Amino acid sequence: LAERYFQHTFANGLTLLCEKMPVVQSAAMALHLDAGAAGDPEGKSGCASVLADLVLRGAGDRDTRALSDHLDRLGLHRSSGVGVYHARFGCEAVAGRVMESLPAYADIIRRPQMPKSGFDAARDLALQGLDGLKDDPRQTLLVKLRQLFLPPPFGRNPMGETKELKKLTLKDVKSNWQRRYQADGAILAVAGNVEFAPLKEEVEKYFGDMPKKPRKKIITERPAYGHYHERQKSEQTHIGVAYPSILETDPDHYVIRLAIEVLGGGMSGRFFTEIREKRGLCYSVWAGYTSLKNYAGVLAYAGTSNERAQATLDCMLAEIRRLSRGVTPEELSRAKIGLKASLIMDGESTSARAGAIAYDFFIRGRMRTLDEIKSGIDEVTPDRINDFLRRSEPKEFTIVTVGPTKLKMPE
Amino acid sequence: MRRDLALKFHHYRLANGLDVIAESDPDAHSFAAGLYVNTGSRDEPAEINGVSHFLEHMMFKGSKKYSWEDVNRIFDEIGARYNAFTTQENTAYYANVLPEFTRRVIEHLANLLRPAIRAQDFNTEKKVILEEIAMHGDDPGYRIYDAAMRQHFGKHPLGRSVLGSAKSIKALTRREMENYFRRHYGPDNMVLAAAGKLDFREIVALAEEHCGSWKASGAKRDHTVPSYTNKHKAMVDKKLNRQYTMAFTPGPSAQDDRRFAARVLGDVIGESEGSRFYWALVDNAIAEDADFGFYPHDGCGSFYVSLTTEPKRTSKALKIARTELERVKEDLTDEEVERAKNKIASAIVLEGELPMGRMRSMAGNWVYNKEYRSLEQDMETLLAVSPESLRELTRQFPFNPMTIVTLGPKAVKPD
Repeated sequence: LAERYFQHTFANGLTLLCEKMPVVQSAAMALHLDAGAAGDPEGKSGCASVLADLVLRGAGDRDTRALSDHLDRLGLHRSSGVGVYHARFGCEAVAGRVMESLPAYADIIRRPQMPKSGFDAARDLALQGLDGLKDDPRQTLLVKLRQLFLPPPFGRNPMGETKELKKLTLKDVKSNWQRRYQADGAILAVAGNVEFAPLKEEVEKYFGDMPKKPRKKIITERPAYGHYHERQKSEQTHIGVAYPSILETDPDHYVIRLAIEVLGGGMSGRFFTEIREKRGLCYSVWAGYTSLKNYAGVLAYAGTSNERAQATLDCMLAEIRRLSRGVTPEELSRAKIGLKASLIMDGESTSARAGAIAYDFFIRGRMRTLDEIKSGIDEVTPDRINDFLRRSEPKEFTIVTVGPTKLKMPE
Repeated sequence: MRRDLALKFHHYRLANGLDVIAESDPDAHSFAAGLYVNTGSRDEPAEINGVSHFLEHMMFKGSKKYSWEDVNRIFDEIGARYNAFTTQENTAYYANVLPEFTRRVIEHLANLLRPAIRAQDFNTEKKVILEEIAMHGDDPGYRIYDAAMRQHFGKHPLGRSVLGSAKSIKALTRREMENYFRRHYGPDNMVLAAAGKLDFREIVALAEEHCGSWKASGAKRDHTVPSYTNKHKAMVDKKLNRQYTMAFTPGPSAQDDRRFAARVLGDVIGESEGSRFYWALVDNAIAEDADFGFYPHDGCGSFYVSLTTEPKRTSKALKIARTELERVKEDLTDEEVERAKNKIASAIVLEGELPMGRMRSMAGNWVYNKEYRSLEQDMETLLAVSPESLRELTRQFPFNPMTIVTLGPKAVKPD
């Protein structure tokens, strides 16, 4: 790898990734632990989310307030959350401050106090979050779409299920911490104005002796797919469509990204042109590609008033199907410029880069340089993309609607 | 060399009054430009409320030279990350591109702002606007914000919704929009801002070439001082699960030097983590969300409180929030002010690393103050904010009286 990128895997399985960005003053850190929602024990959904909140409520010899004050004094912009695979903790600030925060993050991960009062509050907030979801028909739709489309347990709502959260105990959460907050498979990525050697030394000092425990393999099932309607007295009907696609690790993955850019990216994309600009059917319409480790797909969304919902759904499906008839060289060229420009502009942001190298390493087992990605995009020719699209006709649609009336579904 | 020292500011005013401002950064990999127009929903006659935002959409529907397909295609051909927004006081159009597209992006933004407003496009886009209004109808966050602004500002134009209502949009004619455009989109009522890797001589030449022929319109804003209603209101919607609360109380304006202290005070009280509201309301789960902040306007300003709770906890949460607002006047500590300042300092550094962040910050300040502030000045001003200046601020703006609105399944009437 070029001198911009560095990586090291410690004996306990923790991998340190670093992207050096000399012209910035800041740095961003992303710590991903193998403790995401898909690994929640059966009947205890939401456990990973409650745990990720709880560990921040006091760690090492600092109680919840002392810990928070300490991180704030460093001026850190903090983030935390739970995805399908990982519990994620991150921060960004002036580079030196991010380095200074490492001992506190080691406390959070390795020595959380996990007080009972903190657990009660964290679970209460999780339950309130689920309640709030019902007031947001668009989010309700996206949660349901992932549930039906992705293979269980990957489609789970990381927020959990109300029934199961109510029964969750501090003991459950503690035993999950013990088993899952460990070094094997963990990724710590830093991007910004940092030197690799001292960074590695610090990480070794605070995380190098973190225990390594056997990880539980997650067994997946076949996705449910199909059609689903949830009745809500909303102002708009919210429509979600999804279908399976190739993996991020497939040699053709740049091809699918470009194809979906033609379909749903940018304002000259087909969705925007046909559905919004020509017909005025909706304000918000998009399509995106998403990839798990062993499953990938295309997800699309539109929100539209109820009497125009059928026309919108029909139009979305027509555009998705038309994609297999190919794209024009002009469309491909715009999609390439769009993807490459995004890449370079994200390249100026330390937090975007830290997230990107961590994701890359998790999916591929290695970091890609910006140049590698650029040439991957450049290598896609009109013939290659059209040949790919012909071969991979979209099928097995999952369609979810949230709104006052059910729509007519395709055969 | 320190990055902030390598940044250089430039300003030039065209004969027609258009201000061109830029900050060049030789290390940047991209270029950002924006046209900020000093107009928004507060500048609209009440009958055509929503016209500023609708007009913002029409800009993307093409000029004499270009159709809407061309507009979208050209932006995508140069790989622009672009967007536009409308507030009560500003309408902005901006794009981030690679430096090789500087010429094309400025030409394109300039072209955008001389729209054709064709009948067919107007009618199609009207449907899109109505969809956007319907989408906001499904979002309690927007609903409570609009209702609380209306309640707080009463008949003052700042109380008007940015989107307008389905009724005002349906009734709006093309002619009314064209008249509004002529009055408010003169070059003397906007600024062209640029940041990142750039050559200022080139930017000025491009501005002359593409905006030099625009005619000044002499637009003036009505600066009538608002008389706040300070009344409380309970809105009931049985289909909601959560109770949403929003409150407004006066604060410094966008031109007021106390705005820097107001930002720090906002973070001390209402930042999402580690603030007074966090410890009093969110840490213990009394509220799912409790936010306090500073919202400056042209000539006046507001502090706001925003709460999301279970309906049965709303009264309690509101009481705690108001108690905290009283307490901070008495027992503010140096430590908490220092922490808030450190976080804002990080935000200034992070934003300063992105050309888009610099352009937006520069243009946003220019619209109100016609002055440039460097990263260094921003840092110095921040460091000079003292706990005493925050205390002084709470004496001058004592969070009282306050307008409070609640929305949810229960009629929660604050006392």
